[in-house]
Parts: sequence; C-alpha cells; structure tokens
Amino acid sequence: MPDGNQAAIGQPALRIDGRAKVTGRARYASDEVVANPAWAFLVTSAIARGRLRGFRLDEARAVPGVLDILTHENVGGEAEKPKPMAGGDTTTTLESDRIWHDGQIIAVVVAESFEAAREAAHRVRPDYEEEAPSASFGSPGAEEEVRKAGEHKDYKVGHADSAFKAAEYKVDQHYGTPTQHHNPIELFTTTCAWNGGKLTIFEPSQFVYGLRGGLAKQIRMEAQDIHVVSRFVGGAFGSRGAATARTAWIAIAARRLGRPVKLVATRDQGFTIVTYRAETRHHIQLGATRDGRLTALRHEGWEVTSRPSQYNVSGTETTARVYACPNILTKVNIVHADRNTPGFMRAPPETPYMFPLEVAMDELAVALRMDPVELRRINDTGTDPATGRRYSSRSLMPCFDQAAERFGWSRRNPVPGSMREGDWLIGWGCATAAYAANIGPAAVRITLEPAGKARVQIAAHDIGTGAYTVIAITAADRLGLRIEDVTVELGDTELPAAGLAAGSSHTAGICNAVAKACAEIRARLAGAATVTNDGPLIGLDPATLTLRDGALHGPGGRSEPLARALARVAPGALELYSENIPKGLPPESIDKAYQGQMSMSRGHSREDVTAYTFGAQFVEVRVHERTREIRVPRAVGAFAAGTIINPLTAHSQYMGGMIWGIGSALHEETEIDPKAARYVNDNIAEYLIPVNADIRSIEVIMVPERDEEVNPLGIKGIGEIGIVGMNAAISNAVFHATGRRIRNLPIRIKDLL
Amino acid sequence: MDITLKVNGTERRLAVDVRTTLLDALREHLDLTGTKKGCDLGQCGACTVLMDGQRVLSCFTLAVAAEGTEITTIEGLAGEEDPLHPMQQAFLEQDAYQCGYCTPGQIMAAIACVHEGHANSDDEIREYMSGNLCRCGAYPKIVAAVRQAKPLMERA
Repeated sequence: MPDGNQAAIGQPALRIDGRAKVTGRARYASDEVVANPAWAFLVTSAIARGRLRGFRLDEARAVPGVLDILTHENVGGEAEKPKPMAGGDTTTTLESDRIWHDGQIIAVVVAESFEAAREAAHRVRPDYEEEAPSASFGSPGAEEEVRKAGEHKDYKVGHADSAFKAAEYKVDQHYGTPTQHHNPIELFTTTCAWNGGKLTIFEPSQFVYGLRGGLAKQIRMEAQDIHVVSRFVGGAFGSRGAATARTAWIAIAARRLGRPVKLVATRDQGFTIVTYRAETRHHIQLGATRDGRLTALRHEGWEVTSRPSQYNVSGTETTARVYACPNILTKVNIVHADRNTPGFMRAPPETPYMFPLEVAMDELAVALRMDPVELRRINDTGTDPATGRRYSSRSLMPCFDQAAERFGWSRRNPVPGSMREGDWLIGWGCATAAYAANIGPAAVRITLEPAGKARVQIAAHDIGTGAYTVIAITAADRLGLRIEDVTVELGDTELPAAGLAAGSSHTAGICNAVAKACAEIRARLAGAATVTNDGPLIGLDPATLTLRDGALHGPGGRSEPLARALARVAPGALELYSENIPKGLPPESIDKAYQGQMSMSRGHSREDVTAYTFGAQFVEVRVHERTREIRVPRAVGAFAAGTIINPLTAHSQYMGGMIWGIGSALHEETEIDPKAARYVNDNIAEYLIPVNADIRSIEVIMVPERDEEVNPLGIKGIGEIGIVGMNAAISNAVFHATGRRIRNLPIRIKDLL
Repeated sequence: MDITLKVNGTERRLAVDVRTTLLDALREHLDLTGTKKGCDLGQCGACTVLMDGQRVLSCFTLAVAAEGTEITTIEGLAGEEDPLHPMQQAFLEQDAYQCGYCTPGQIMAAIACVHEGHANSDDEIREYMSGNLCRCGAYPKIVAAVRQAKPLMERA
C-alpha cells in the first residue's frame, strides 16, 4: 500500500519531548499547578494481619493546620476497593477495619501544608488487634493451592514424566527469585480537584482510561465526569497500570474539603501501596538425548500473592514454547500470605521463569559437554511446541550468532575457572530472551493543516519509552511531513482512547492506529484529487497517490501541494478520527478501552500464529578471587523485534532493560522480616539498584527482521525483552568464572564465599 | 516564617514552615517544578541543585538554611527560547534519559561534576555521577553526555 515514504520510520530521531525534559519544563503529575491545594499524608499499618479496634486522633487533630482525617470509621462506605488488572480480588484499605498486610493504608491526614500533614500522620494512634502473619513461602499459615487454568493455561504435550525418566541426560533442579519493587524515581503521587460534580486527577499512569474507569466504579461516579491527566510519567515498569487504593481516598478527601488535595506518597509507602514482583520458586526437569535434543521439559512454579488475590504470572506460558520438545508439562501454584497484592513488573512472567529454564539449559550443556549456543541451535524451532502453531517469525539463532560474534564467544575456554586476569576470575555466560509480541486497540484523532502541520491526539502514555516520538515519526512518515511539523498530545482522558502502556504492546498498538488514520487521510485526499475537475491528478487511480514532502504525488511526476489537495476535502484543517482493532480482537475491544478495561492480543494465544520477540544475551562477569566481589564489565544483547520505529530510543530501551537485568541478577531483593511479614529495606539506599559506577559496556545489536503477520507495521515489542535473559546469563557466567552454580537470585558475595 | 531566596538570579520572598525543605520551597512555593522529589531522603539525587555553584541535595537542605546563597535550578540554565546549556544539549543528543524524571538532577550534578574537575575519564564520571540514580538505566549515555559537554563547558 503506497501510504507514504519510508524515510522517517526506522531512522534515529531525537525525542520531540527532549527539550521539555532537559529544561525541567515537562510537567509530571505532581508538577501540575492546582490552586490552593491541601496536603494529604498517608498513615500505613504497622502490623501485617489483624483488625483495627479504632484510632486515637486527638493528638493528630491538635496539630496546627490539620483539616481532616479519613479512616474506615468516617469514610469507609464511600468507596469500594480497586479492581486489579489481573488476579481478580485484592486487599482493602479504608473500606473496612481489616488489615491484610504491613504498610496498608489505614488513614489519610489532610492539612494546610505537607509538613503539618506529615507531623499529624505520625501522631495518629491506631489501636490494633494483632494476629500472627505469614510472610512468604514456608511461613506457618501460608496457604498453597494449584493455580487453575483461567487467565493462564497449563501445557501438557506428550508424556513428560515418562520421557524424563527415560532420558539419557537430565537436569532436575530447584530455583528461586526474590521479591522486587519497581521503584520508579517519580514517587506515587495523586492530585485531585473537583469542579462541581466533575473530578480532575493528576496521577502518573500507564493507562489513563483504566484509572478513570476503575475509579468511577470505586466511588460510584459516571466515568465521563472524571478527567485523568498524565502527560509525563517518571518511570512506571508496570507499577502504574490500574487504579490503586490511594486515588479514591484522595478524591474523597478533596470532595469533603471542597478544595484540591495533593498526595506525594513517601518512598517507603511505595513498597506497600502499589504492586511488586512477587518471589517465586521453580522445579525444572529437562531430559535430553546424547546429541542435545530435548526429550522432556517439566516446569512447575510457585508464586506468592496476597490472601484474597489469585494473581500469578505463569511464565510457563513462555518457557513451554521456547525450544522444540515433544514432551512438555507445566504447572503453577500460588501461595497466599499476608502481603500486599503483587502485579506487573517489567517482563512479569519471563523475568522469574526464564531464569530457571535458561540456567537449566546451561547445566544441560555442561552435562553434555556441549557449547551452550549450540544446545540452543539444536533445539531451535519454527513451530510453537506447546500448540503446534507456526512462529510468525523467529530470529533466535541470528541473534545468538551476531551477539556471539560481537562478544568474542569463540575465544571462550569452557572449563570453569579457567579464564582469569590477575586476581579476577572471568566468566562468560549466555541465555535466550523471549517475550510475546502483544498489541492492543487504539483510537486516534489527527488534524492536518494546510500549512503542512499535523496534530496527533491519542491517550497513549510515554513512560520513558519514547511514545511521543514514535507517534510523530509514524505520522510524519505516512503524511509525508517532517517530524518537527507533527505535534503530539498524550496522557489525557479527553483524547481518543489507547490501551495500557504495558506488555511491550504500546508502540505496536498506537503506531498501527496512527498509520491507519494517516492511510484514511491519504485515501480521502487521493479520492478527491482524482475525481476533481481542476488539478493535475485528475483521472489517476487514487491507490497510486502518495503523500510526501508536503505534496500529493501521482505517477509520472504529477503532483499538487498538500494545501490544494486538502482544500478540496475540508474548508480549513482536516480532522479525522480513526479506530484500530488489531486482528483477533473483537469489535467491542475499542469500547472496552474507553471503559478502561484491558484488552490485548497476546503473542502466545493468537489463533493464527505464535508471535514472539527473541534475543540472545551474553555477559562477562569478573569475580574477585579473594573478596568475591562480582562486577559486570560488559554485556552484549542482540534482539529481533520486527520493525524498529526509532532506533535511538529503541537502543535506550534495550540498554535499560539489560541494566535492569544486572540489577535483578546481582542487586535487587526486597527483604522480608519472616516474623513481622514486613519489608525491611523499603528505601532506595538499601533496596539496591544499579548506580552509574555499576554499569560499564552495554552493547545492543538490533537484528533486522520483517514480520508481515504480527501486525500491519510489523512491530514487536522491545520494552521488556532486554531484561529477560540477563538473570540466567549472569548466573551462567558466575558458574563459568567460579564453578559455583547459583540457582537463587540475587547472586551476592555471600553465595560465592 | 518569611525568607528571601535568590534563585536563578532573582530574589524571591516566601513564607515557609521552618521544616520546609529547599526542594519543597522550590516546587510548592516558587513553582520551580523542574527539581524533582524522588525519595526525600537524600538517596536518589533527583533533587540536585547548585548552591553557590556546589551541588546539594535540596531535599536535605532546609529552605531557611538556603538564605543568603545563590541557588541555580534546571530552569536557570536556559530561558524558554534560549539555546540550551551544553550539558542539556548533550543529554538531548545522547538520549541520556528515558522517562526524564531524574534528568534535571543528573544535569545539575553533571555540571558540578565538570566544574569540580571530576570528569577526566569515564571511570571518574561514573564514580562522581553515582549519587544520581536513573531507574531507566541511561547510565552509559549519561557518561557519554558528560564527555560531550565537558570541552564545550571549558571553552565557554
């Protein structure tokens, strides 16, 4: 379809919001100006399980400037608990006297100033009726159940148990991953302002319509009366999807007061008032022939969740289909403890589940005395072994080969501990990365002006991904304009709905919608230009006309300026609204987006093909012989994700994902007091994330890939895959350096003593 | 209490609580929201501003203690229509950010890092920029931005 030149798509472009970001003029939610706000400060539970008998509030009320204190006793009936995006039920906050987890919101203090609200919050005296809590796996009182098939499926292909028993080579091991918290640098903030019966909310969000729809149900309002604004988001990583508990109470506080109320929750509160990545356990059994062919794969997972939630990530959806294998069995269990409800965090299923699979593959390679890259090659497949469907495209081995070449893998001596430099033991490891290619529905409004400027309005979200810029690139490409002639408005429920910015689905969803709208504009202009009685394009086949360089072009050098073509169909600017429903999703999915419900076509559950992004990740670690300090001097990742709209921001995303992987493998763990069921290191000095000095060379290779089946623009997701293989690649590199096989993350000095 | 702060070359009078941090004074009293709150505990560096040319954590500085000093925030580096400061330009060109939330603090710290003479090698930049966390993981590009801006700053 000749919808325009391809000059902009695929060319690196600086962020169109870059100047706003480097000058401090980008307004994040808590930067938005509201008149005369009062300040809220949350009071959170100091126990993990029990009930509230009541509160002593006299001391708090006596603090000068205190305006209101919300508890279950005075506002409990005014809201319902939020509905999470997955897992069904969740815990309550002020709706009842029940305490489900440590750090649960139990009161909200509102005052004239932040300082007064904070002081008064510390003077609220809750009276607890405490019960002994269960912290995690193995805690007395934790309840384990088999996860039933629903949001996620189990796979049974062939006879995994008997095939495993009969296998010549086996790996049979247990693995574990820790609790992790997103910790975006922007805190969890909410500002609510009422104007009559209408509510405006400024809150960092990955899904403004989801926040609107969810909150409307919670506080029993019409969704149309709620306006959510989230123009810039200071990191999200899954933590800002659905409405969470705080928003309703801030809205109610503002309504009671008749004045805007602003909340900037503290860093430690961010560990308990939103979601997190729950700790997992795994049992993996791999069976293989002498030449390395997998004959059996059995993967059983255990995941922690809150008491009422069924939330689980079931990464077996991916581990069951990465390698050719005739006998597959997967199973997932959930363990309920007295904890806040977990939720999506960057590559939610794959980060914890690909770690055990890819370490097990390395263990199998060692048992077989085979190069781990060759083991992947032997088990590569063009067919999804879990369902028998074809992969729409799969470039796993080109990724391995290009990354291996860049890394210098052929110089690796496979004997553990054999490579060293001075006091440093050197280890090289690798792993496969895989992430489903997902896409959601989106609507968009494009206004094209005679002067050759376009405005694109879409309630999409730029959480650092470069969404503003890829939208501008796509519109420029398809309308034949310069990127600087396109303005983009995002993050506002007054704009056409786009889905959730998550699951590496957003660029595919929004750019395909923009391209479709542009195609409709081109068709309108071309249709009119070819049937007019004035102009050079009369009589041509409209399908042959293209928009480029500010003009409508036909074959044979015939063209007319955009302004003339436009004047024929619209008196001034042409405004066009368009909806895009990806293949496989029902027509009502766009209405669902407006209602704030998530709908997504997932790469592992399509009817036609299985669609995945693949990658290969290589890491060098250095372990100090005496101190056992672990460093990562370099990492190379190669990824094939179909069409890359903006290689500049794609590089940043892949790189950021790999740095997340270094954090995940070596630094990050939320530690839980086993008796109190309380997060211990709930700040970003003790919850370790990589700092600048932890990161050295990160190389990203974008392996070219065309996929005409995944969606019209051929876009697969890139936001998450960068982290997926890193946990295992680092663990495998540590084994190579030291001979120590570490199956529980993070890998710390104590594991290597 | 009433205080006067000299911010980006302009004297501003404001009434604050004695407990008000310089960060909250800038953001909530002077509408200078470019300086960000990431932890309020001196752990993340998002609130970094210059005080008499030195980098300080504005969440760890009381507003009253900033009286009599010259404060520079991200908004003070370039006017709305002006050319960017070389460090801002370098961050933009290197794509040395993603979400952009830590960016004002990174840029202020990076300017100080160059002025302090702590930007002589990549290793030194990494070390002296490690007080500013970037959760998106833009670190290698932040190092490249500092390297790009340093000679331009020294020439200016």
